[in-house]
Amino acid sequence: MIRAGIRRAFRLPLRGRHRWERDVEDEIKLHLTLRAEQLMAAGVSPEHAYDEAVRRFGALTESRARLVDAARHREASMQRAEYWEDLRQDLAFAFRTLARQKGWTAITLITLALGIGATTAVFSAVSSLLLHPLPYPNANRVVFIDQQPSEGNKSGISVSILPSALVVRAWRERAHSFEALEGYNTTDLSLRTKSGEPSTITSIRVFPSFLSFAGQRPLFGRMFDSTDVARGGHVLLLSEAFWRERFGADRRVVGNAIALDDTLYTVIGVMPASLKSPSVGDAGRDVWMPLDIRNNDIGMRLIGRLRPGASVAVAARELDSASAAVDGSGAKRLPFIARVVTPAQTVSFRDSLVMLTGAVALVMLVACANVAHLLMARAAVRERELAVRIALGAGRGRLFRQLLTESLVLTSVGALLGFGIGWAGLKVIIALRPRALSALDAAHLDVTTGLIAVGLAVVSAVAFGVLGALQSARRSTHGALKTGGSGSSASRMHARGRATLVVSEMALSATLVVGATMLVRSVINLQRADLGFDPHGLYHIELVLPRARFADAAARTVFLDEFASRLRSASGIKSISVDMTPPGWRNFSIGRFEIQGEPVRTGTTEFIDINSIDGDYFKTMGMRLTQGTMFTDTSKAAGQAIINAGFARAHWPGGSAIGHRVRVAQSGDEPWLTIVGVANEAQTSGPGSESSTPLLYWPSRPEGRRSIIVRTSGDAQLLTHAKTLARSMDAQASANVTSVERDLAQAISGPRFVMLILAVFTGLALVLAAVGMYGVMAYTVAQKTREIGIRVALGAPRQRIAASILVRGAVLALVGSTLGMASATWGTRLIEHQLYGVARSDIASFAAAIVVLAATAALACIVPTRRALAVDPMTAIRAE
Amino acid sequence: MSRLPVLKGTLDLLVLRALSWTPMHGFEIVSWLERAGNGTLDLEDSALYQAVYRLEERGLLQADWGVTENNRRARYYKLTTAGRSFLRAETKNWMQYAETVTTILTAGKEPASASAS
Repeated sequence: MIRAGIRRAFRLPLRGRHRWERDVEDEIKLHLTLRAEQLMAAGVSPEHAYDEAVRRFGALTESRARLVDAARHREASMQRAEYWEDLRQDLAFAFRTLARQKGWTAITLITLALGIGATTAVFSAVSSLLLHPLPYPNANRVVFIDQQPSEGNKSGISVSILPSALVVRAWRERAHSFEALEGYNTTDLSLRTKSGEPSTITSIRVFPSFLSFAGQRPLFGRMFDSTDVARGGHVLLLSEAFWRERFGADRRVVGNAIALDDTLYTVIGVMPASLKSPSVGDAGRDVWMPLDIRNNDIGMRLIGRLRPGASVAVAARELDSASAAVDGSGAKRLPFIARVVTPAQTVSFRDSLVMLTGAVALVMLVACANVAHLLMARAAVRERELAVRIALGAGRGRLFRQLLTESLVLTSVGALLGFGIGWAGLKVIIALRPRALSALDAAHLDVTTGLIAVGLAVVSAVAFGVLGALQSARRSTHGALKTGGSGSSASRMHARGRATLVVSEMALSATLVVGATMLVRSVINLQRADLGFDPHGLYHIELVLPRARFADAAARTVFLDEFASRLRSASGIKSISVDMTPPGWRNFSIGRFEIQGEPVRTGTTEFIDINSIDGDYFKTMGMRLTQGTMFTDTSKAAGQAIINAGFARAHWPGGSAIGHRVRVAQSGDEPWLTIVGVANEAQTSGPGSESSTPLLYWPSRPEGRRSIIVRTSGDAQLLTHAKTLARSMDAQASANVTSVERDLAQAISGPRFVMLILAVFTGLALVLAAVGMYGVMAYTVAQKTREIGIRVALGAPRQRIAASILVRGAVLALVGSTLGMASATWGTRLIEHQLYGVARSDIASFAAAIVVLAATAALACIVPTRRALAVDPMTAIRAE
Repeated sequence: MSRLPVLKGTLDLLVLRALSWTPMHGFEIVSWLERAGNGTLDLEDSALYQAVYRLEERGLLQADWGVTENNRRARYYKLTTAGRSFLRAETKNWMQYAETVTTILTAGKEPASASAS
């Protein structure tokens, strides 16, 4: 009986495609022949024997078809079984080999997991902020609309002018690029609670159509409509969170009235938690109220949805022609022009986020390089094993499948671990987020990104693990067997390839180290910055007064002055000042800044910082006058002003600003103000904020926004004290106390957050690069064991051998960091404008990178060098 | 004696039994069944091949091409280990079943009714 090989050939899927059909034919034919022979032997005549054989077999055509079918079914299921059996074997084999080399497997898995995890975490965070900032239908066509001064804005200050209701009505009628245009305004209101204590809640006013724009429906109750607006709009909907928290999720709240700022509003429904406020990064609003588009006195923020295919530029032009029509100015130039931006453009720290994305991509590249490199090292080790198996007749296809399975097992486990790390990493990022990025709380693990990262890992694993191994095995089937696997050309190529990978890892890490060092230094500078005033112990008090009774500015001023003078006598208060612009805020006068006797500059709208102050302002702030004198009681009447030193220096370098006369011209008949003093520059909006653009201090006037700034000595119970005082003066008054120091700390929480993440990634890249470096050095030493043995035997001093290893490491590190410096010189452009007190060419940062990389390389070389030193000449030489 | 139709499921058992001695090709199995059953089994020859393919698919048989005594190419079937243990277990089942059925059919009088306690 012939058996060997035939069965296998029979089962090959491609060649045996219709094999079973012929087999069935053959079997039937043989059967009929044998049956006929049997019948003839029993005496049946030959002509009847065959017919009888067929009769006994059964209807021939029919049963043949049935048998072919059965045979096909059998083949298919046996092939399937064989396939699964092979797969099971491959998997078992892969797990066995991987488990045998525990160290190697662990390092590779850690590399994969860290790379995939870091990438997934950061991309998830960034995409939730940049790609999906607003959860509205057709979010890719959602835009924000505001206005800009048409003459341009050279102040360096980002300005947003809110279009008036009049303009918005015209836009809604005439701008056909928009599917929808929705106005909204946000305010804080004072809610009177049962205990009588007023509490501040956040509100938003929107058009009745906003809900359909956002693709939402009230959780229950109804949305307000134009009838509600026409009746005065004293209705509101609660947000789901607010309803649960304050009303215990009681559905009977509908129909009740609640008092906000002394006005009664009827609750008509509850908004679902999935409805988000249109402000990017807004944490959510407590109540939703109607915005009256017929009220010409108000300006509003706008969000809109473009029609499919409409361009931002065309839309903006359409808005301008619509506003020109309302303006009545016709051909005359408009004072303001429309600006249309996408939500992603309004995200704070946008550039930092983009930069972080770049950084994490570098880390992923380092991880991939490492995986490639680890697999190449392994391929070199297995070169001989594979060569032997090929020589012994192992099918290339089978070998390919086995290596592929191994790579896939490796990447799958790595991917699983990576998703775990990504999930945890995202949680950490969310926990560390700065206040301005509250939208980050909604971030969830981005599966697409994770899959892309896994895809990258798979590609490098397959490319280097499978193809690399097979290629070198084929090239060296003879060589490997003869020479014992060392010194063959393939090995030399491996060595070169891996050195290249290590150099690129070092270069990428160096780039990251430079960037991270610059950011760290910049954050330290921010924390230590001399702000020109003393935020420590400085507080800002804002009085919240019931709007109805304090509608009159004079009434507010009386209350404020009374409050300030009573507070002044409290213990722990060093100094109090009433001003218009507390630290962290800016007030502008818009117009043309003119200096008497100098030519008038035209063409650009200027924003001149103004602050209206009383006599104790500089003392309270911890500032001083560098020139001139403080205001006196007659200053207001005499039209005096104080300017900031930055401006004085810019405009009258070397001279004195005192006595010069300036004004902010709008119509041109504004009175001139005489400069009587120059105050030192103060970065009241936090370190790095502009302090040399013109800033005018006016002697105190009653109008405008007014606040109280307080300098305390240490731990004064200012918060409770101010609140009690306000309430004792008016039962519905309340005081909000903010620590200027804490606000400033918040201001740098953004850069600090970015710095922290970048630092973590840099550390990660360094660890990965060290692993790569270690791999190369360890392999070099392993390969040279014999050579080292001979050299030691011939009397070479061991120090020299150690030195030769270290030199090789140093060369790799040096080449890598040099390339890294070069790419950092270019790459730091991305973070340039986030630097504070650090130049892009900062020598210290570059030096730090060199030191860090040298240290990393040295660390990675320790073990291989010690191994080289421990080589026993006798063992090494005999080993071959 | 009239020819007996083969009961559903028993054909598999008979084929396995035929092959329990030695590997055979299709016609050998048919002839063996005819001899062993004294020609009383009513079976179309093609049905046997159906059964054989089914058994092969289930891994109870294994097929290989071989050559007959007269130098003809034939597909030989052989029991696998799984087939052998299947045969053993099923034979036992069948015997018990047949015995039970026989006992019941040949019982002389009405069986005693089971007490309810």
